[in-house]
Amino acid sequence: MATETETTLGTRGYRKRLTELWQEYLPVWFMLPMALFLVVVTFFPGAYNIYLGLTNWDLTNPATTGTFIGLDNFASAWGRGSTWVSVRNTFVFVFGSLALQTTLGFVLAALVAGVTNGMKTVYRIGFILPMAAAPVALATMGQIMLNQELGIIPYLIETVLPVSSPAFLSGQYSLLTVILVDTWNWTPFMFIVFYAGLTSVPTDLKEAAKVDGAPLWRIYAHIIIPYMKPLIFVAVLIRMIDLFREFGMIYSLTGGGPGTSSRVLSIQVFEMGFIGSNLGTAAAVSIVYLVFVIALCTIAIIKVGFEGVWD
Amino acid sequence: MSAISTDRRRQLKEVGRHVVLFGWLLFALFPFLWILSMSLKSTADALAMPPEWIFVPTFENYIELMRDPEFAYALGNSFLVVGGSVLIVLLIGIPGAYAISRYDIPAERDVMIWILSSRMLPPVAVIVPFFILYNRLGLLDTRIGLTFMLTTINIAIVVWVMKAFFDGIPVALEEAAMVDGATRFQAFRKVVLPAALPGIIAVAIISFIFGWIELVFSLVLTGTETRTAPIYMYQFIGSRQIDWGMLAAASSVLVMPIVLFLILVNKYLAAGLSFGVALKE
Repeated sequence: MATETETTLGTRGYRKRLTELWQEYLPVWFMLPMALFLVVVTFFPGAYNIYLGLTNWDLTNPATTGTFIGLDNFASAWGRGSTWVSVRNTFVFVFGSLALQTTLGFVLAALVAGVTNGMKTVYRIGFILPMAAAPVALATMGQIMLNQELGIIPYLIETVLPVSSPAFLSGQYSLLTVILVDTWNWTPFMFIVFYAGLTSVPTDLKEAAKVDGAPLWRIYAHIIIPYMKPLIFVAVLIRMIDLFREFGMIYSLTGGGPGTSSRVLSIQVFEMGFIGSNLGTAAAVSIVYLVFVIALCTIAIIKVGFEGVWD
Repeated sequence: MSAISTDRRRQLKEVGRHVVLFGWLLFALFPFLWILSMSLKSTADALAMPPEWIFVPTFENYIELMRDPEFAYALGNSFLVVGGSVLIVLLIGIPGAYAISRYDIPAERDVMIWILSSRMLPPVAVIVPFFILYNRLGLLDTRIGLTFMLTTINIAIVVWVMKAFFDGIPVALEEAAMVDGATRFQAFRKVVLPAALPGIIAVAIISFIFGWIELVFSLVLTGTETRTAPIYMYQFIGSRQIDWGMLAAASSVLVMPIVLFLILVNKYLAAGLSFGVALKE
């Protein structure tokens, strides 16, 4: 029946049929662009990295480009000491920063949540602003302020404290410096999410515990933190993901150095591929990095679970 | 007697709280204030040690910066590319989020985690394949190419946050509109979208921030034509003779729009940054 009316009505019929299709399959049309986009974004890089990792991609020697060389790239990339140093640095950086930022963010949020006067808004807004520092701006600030001879921070440390300032950007301290700079930059993220969580804990829950005479730490350990668990889990997960992504601040502040002292995996990949001009070895590290991060997050999601996150 | 001492203890606690918080406030804001003050000093004063705490501000650094046509061009490029990517991510993310929120999607959890996984990919691990692909397609050093890559960073956050927002809007609202003769799409456009507007604005701004601070993609994919503001600054950092005053001015300009955005959107920041989870508490 439908086909007959279509042919007799011509363009108007087609337009009507199209509108019907649009209305009937609305969720499909709504999902389609997103799904296509995500297929490209999530499957293409992994698959292509595997192919690149197995072929010769030395940009300095174009004649041999594209030939299959087995696991040579993996052997070459993972046989380098610098790759393993960067693995170690990545772990220290990610989990050091994560622990610091989670603790500081929670303490600050709890303190601000208890403020009763107008300073509350000042703190709440003032504390989130460090997030505005883009990596390059952050690196500029860091290089100016942490400079051993000309920087304000070593100057202040030596003026106020009776100790000599550590050389922040030296090989000995550069990884710690990078962690501290990231903590300045991203503790606000933890703070603002935890603050929202703390203010959403029902007051009668807290009041009831107070009436029972429970000490403060017990109220936190047994009522507030369990109540906030989904939010804490998601905040830590997202921050961890973003810490594994970190590149810009470290690259422009220390360049991963001096030497390899603050070199993390993202810098190692970048150096291999775009400074050392060997995309094959870069891909051989990339694919391992990619699979590792996704596996770690997926395991965390399955083990800890998303209860409360979903409904 | 004991009542007085508990009162005193409470007072002391309050003072302690404000001392700690004020200390952190100084710590959080000091780098911005220092860079801002440095950008307003003359070259001679900028690096004086001990520092000049009181000085006559000069705008010479900003004037010099604005005279450099490359900086204005790079800044414009940044706005164009990041703004474009936000527009695209909203266009494909919001309908997707709505469909997931309102319809029975098979394996919804897995779909949501798959979407989240796009955020888990470290940019450096993704950029090599895209670099080669772009090289073949002639997309290196084009605004479209960079815009696409910036979109990949934000798709997960947009879908997650908007789904949470749509979940919070009662279905009855659309049903009422449909009883009045509106189609599903009209109900979405005229009823649901306006109700979700605060969420859309918040997620747009947060996406803009994440795009604005991205460095890997622009470092690899841009050339002279499409250089963004961070890349413009990056070349100064690498050079031997650094004009610190001008760099401080450029940093201030780079940070300023984001500071404004953060203040504007501060109420919805937690909901946005927690991928919508804070909305459900």
